[in-house]
Amino acid sequence: MNNPSAATATEVSKIYGHGDSEVRALDNVSVQFETGKFTAIMGPSGSGKSTLMHCMAGLDEMTKGSVTIGDVDIADLNDKELTRLRRDKIGFVFQSFNLVPTLTADENIRLPLLLGNNKGNEEWIQKVINTVHLQDRLSHRPSELSGGQQQRVAVARALASQPAIIFADEPTGNLDSTTGGEILSFMRKAVDDLGQTIVMVTHDPVSASYADRIVFLKDGKIAGELLKPTPETVLDYMKKLGH
Amino acid sequence: MFRIALKGILGRKARLILTSLAVILGTAFLSGTAVFSATLNQTFDNLFSDVFRNIDGYVRSTQVIEADFGAEERQRLPQELIELVEAVPGVADVQGDIQAFARIVGKDGEPLGSDGAGPPTFGSVGEEFKGALWTITDGKFPSGPTEVALDEAVAKSGGFVVGDKVKVIAQAGSREFTLVGIASYGDVRSPGGATFALFDLATAQEFLAKPGFIDSILISGDGSMSDEELAKAVNAVIPSSYNTETLTGAEITKESQDQIGSALSFFSILLSTFSYIALGVGSFVIYNVFSISAAQRQRENALLRAIGASKKQVTRALLIESVIVGLFGSLVGLVAGIGLSKALSALLKAAGIDLPSGGLVVPSSAIANTVVVGLIVTVSSAWLPARRAGRVPPLAAMRETAIEVVALTRRRTVLGFVFIGLGAAAITAVTNGASNTWLGLGILFVFSGTITLGPVIARPVALFLGKPAQQFRGVTGTMARQNSARNPKRTARTASPVLIGVALVTAVAALAASIRTQIDDVFTEQFKGDYAINSNARGFGGLSPSLADDINALPGVARATGIGFLTVKIEDRGQNLTTINPATVEGVLDIGLTSGTYADLTPETIFVSQKYVENNSAKLGDTISVTLADAQVKNLTIAGIYEFDDLAGKYTVSRDLVKDSTVITFDFGVYIAMEPGVSDATARAALQGAVDKYGQGDLLSKREYIDLQSGQVNQLLGLIYGLLFLSVIIAVVGIIITLLLSVFERQREIGLLRAVGMTKSQVRTTVRWESVITSLLGAVVGIVLGVGLGWVIVYALRDQGLSSFSVPVGSTVSILIMAFVIGVLAAVYPAWRATRVNLLSAITTA
Repeated sequence: MNNPSAATATEVSKIYGHGDSEVRALDNVSVQFETGKFTAIMGPSGSGKSTLMHCMAGLDEMTKGSVTIGDVDIADLNDKELTRLRRDKIGFVFQSFNLVPTLTADENIRLPLLLGNNKGNEEWIQKVINTVHLQDRLSHRPSELSGGQQQRVAVARALASQPAIIFADEPTGNLDSTTGGEILSFMRKAVDDLGQTIVMVTHDPVSASYADRIVFLKDGKIAGELLKPTPETVLDYMKKLGH
Repeated sequence: MFRIALKGILGRKARLILTSLAVILGTAFLSGTAVFSATLNQTFDNLFSDVFRNIDGYVRSTQVIEADFGAEERQRLPQELIELVEAVPGVADVQGDIQAFARIVGKDGEPLGSDGAGPPTFGSVGEEFKGALWTITDGKFPSGPTEVALDEAVAKSGGFVVGDKVKVIAQAGSREFTLVGIASYGDVRSPGGATFALFDLATAQEFLAKPGFIDSILISGDGSMSDEELAKAVNAVIPSSYNTETLTGAEITKESQDQIGSALSFFSILLSTFSYIALGVGSFVIYNVFSISAAQRQRENALLRAIGASKKQVTRALLIESVIVGLFGSLVGLVAGIGLSKALSALLKAAGIDLPSGGLVVPSSAIANTVVVGLIVTVSSAWLPARRAGRVPPLAAMRETAIEVVALTRRRTVLGFVFIGLGAAAITAVTNGASNTWLGLGILFVFSGTITLGPVIARPVALFLGKPAQQFRGVTGTMARQNSARNPKRTARTASPVLIGVALVTAVAALAASIRTQIDDVFTEQFKGDYAINSNARGFGGLSPSLADDINALPGVARATGIGFLTVKIEDRGQNLTTINPATVEGVLDIGLTSGTYADLTPETIFVSQKYVENNSAKLGDTISVTLADAQVKNLTIAGIYEFDDLAGKYTVSRDLVKDSTVITFDFGVYIAMEPGVSDATARAALQGAVDKYGQGDLLSKREYIDLQSGQVNQLLGLIYGLLFLSVIIAVVGIIITLLLSVFERQREIGLLRAVGMTKSQVRTTVRWESVITSLLGAVVGIVLGVGLGWVIVYALRDQGLSSFSVPVGSTVSILIMAFVIGVLAAVYPAWRATRVNLLSAITTA
């Protein structure tokens, strides 16, 4: 990885509507996410944090600006290429409804690889499965797993294809704090031990404190940054920003 | 609740359209066939009123033989009656009429008009007459033995113009005439697609029938008295020994209309039977759509319950919705049906059947029937889903996703097996000697049982059928396989229309295969010749009896014999006798004589089948009284008994039986045995020459002839397939609707898959394979049921001489291939919709 940044947004704007009813969800946002780091995006509801993630992950179209994942400018890609990029280079963890109900945990973990007809690195996959403690749950369907187990499967899926970057959207939003803490520890481990890059959207200071760096968003603009956060420093910073 | 129901409908137009589509299709076929039948009836009624406009009286014989299928043979009248009638005061003009078989040969040497089952080909009288049925549109009426007029339609299709030479085939052989006139019948170019060659009376008598005889007398009055008085006056003049009756113009019009009406009613019943089958199939689709949409609105209904709506109110809201959908669907279906009936007419016209022009008739009974039946089917299909919707616990409003309850009860399994058991018991009872009526009940029970068990077997069977998809399509195949099994009730309901359609098609195919095998066996055993000349005309017309005589005179021919039939009256019932030539039959046709020799068959004797002997405890030497079509009574002595009644039927007589009567006979086949050592080319050349002289009949080798006979079953098969096609369309629509609703239900899942890297084409593959698996599920279970049903029908027909059952392997394979194709086609639109799922909203809605 020569490029120190896994994903870069340059002057990205996302505008809904026209004229008087115009809403700027993102207003000229430029941000870089470093390789091998765990970054959190924070901000109040409507600050544009989810929109930024969607635009960077190629799930939503931006109105202006450019996004590169690794060396690829995603504006140059058509739907098929974008889909392939998401499959091969990006991992996802959503807040809920992360898994395909008809597939087993194992199939869900390997889903991006299976879709790409790609065997993947078996040693790596086993390592991921061991890391998230899912060895004895592999043949179960999502409906037979607890909420925490389901999110662990989702994290494992995001890691399985060794993507350039993983986007997580409120991954612990639906979990109790103990289970949530477990998931966040796994993500931390994935960065520290497995060398992955993770970008996580959250509004919870405790969750955000697991990250190496926090990017704050407000009204569609970058409002500040915090390195090596703890829950306390996060809260202080949020107060300062007027959250 | 009414307003809530209304809002529920209008809020989701797409769902309204989907639900209504099933109702629309079902009712469209219903109203379409009703309107078509009524219009057809009306136009023929109009035609006959028009044609008989100037006919005030109609004289004919009272001696008539009615045979099977409404065919009748009426005695002819002697010609001298014409003069008798003409002299009656009040009569302005008369014409002797004849209507008999005549076939016009086209310029390419091939006879015009259709063989066998199509509209008949007539020869008749066309003369200047005040009440003439025919109007000359070009040229003049024929006069003299060399002139002919043709109906407009056949003149056009044959490319004939006045002055051309036209070859016509009739019972007396074929002859060439000069075309002098083109005629139209009422306002149509030809009545119902029949072809007509018109001659003057003397020529018609000599060429078509028997000199000195006519079929009927048409009378045009001078207006001095009413038709009733005229008929009475005519009747008074004709001596009673002639056995005649005189009908008024109104009566003969009515009778012709009724005759056509009863012929058409068979057609109408057939059409409406299949449209009811289609509607029954459609009711599954309606039920399915209501079930799915009720499940998808579970949260909404639960919310209504939570804020205080009673169970009854929720149920009622859904029922009101079904009433509105039913009404809307049936009304649209009614209109669509009218369009459908127009399409049907256009189709017939394209097939060469020119229907009389006339406005569309939409009987009020068809309107009422369509709407009432459509409404009943819709509301009763919605009944169960509505009740289930009412039972939704208010708590379900808090649940995250609405998933249809898929719990399969033990009760269902037990009930299904009980049904199948009862059905099997009824069928077993019949094989052990109970009455055939139990078969119907048995079939019904087995079907109901299978449908009840549907959801139970859907999962394992779908998983099994989906294995190849998983093998070849990787994870998309796995998902398709699991999707088709994830809601077995829904899959079973979607597959049920396919199942019913396929079961019926398979049963018909099995029946046809059995009949084909049977025919093949019969002809192989009983037809001993090397060649056959075949005429497809069975009810009407055929080969001239002198053809067989001509062929016997050819060098190289060992023996040729004609086989035909004769309609007579035995014990007051119309019966068909087989006519053979006892002098030439031996060694060419084997009827399996068990007593007597062919030499015993004279104009005074009759042969009967073994079965006849058993059923009537008859014996050699008994006499059977036979009334010919000209009212002659013959007392025939039983002189022989035969075993093979498949071709020869109950009675066989010598063709010379009718030699001294006005009755004429045709052969439907001539069987030929060649001398040993005559090459195929030589034989064909010689025989073809004889055939060409008559211009009719096809020369076939033994194998070709047998294949042709057994192939006739295919015509019937084609008709039934065509009608079952309606059900197939509904089944396809059912799959499309279910898939669309499933895609809608799985939006989030599809969005997730797209987000983590599923390409659009992979999304389509998943939907497509789910569709194929569902369709194959219906087809496989349908084939199993259909083969069973076919066996039962063949068994029920064992007394009709059907002794062997054949599994239609070829048809089964093509049904499976078709089910596959149907699955692929049905998935096209839903798969496209699935790729349009909004990725972002699918993954962000909490």
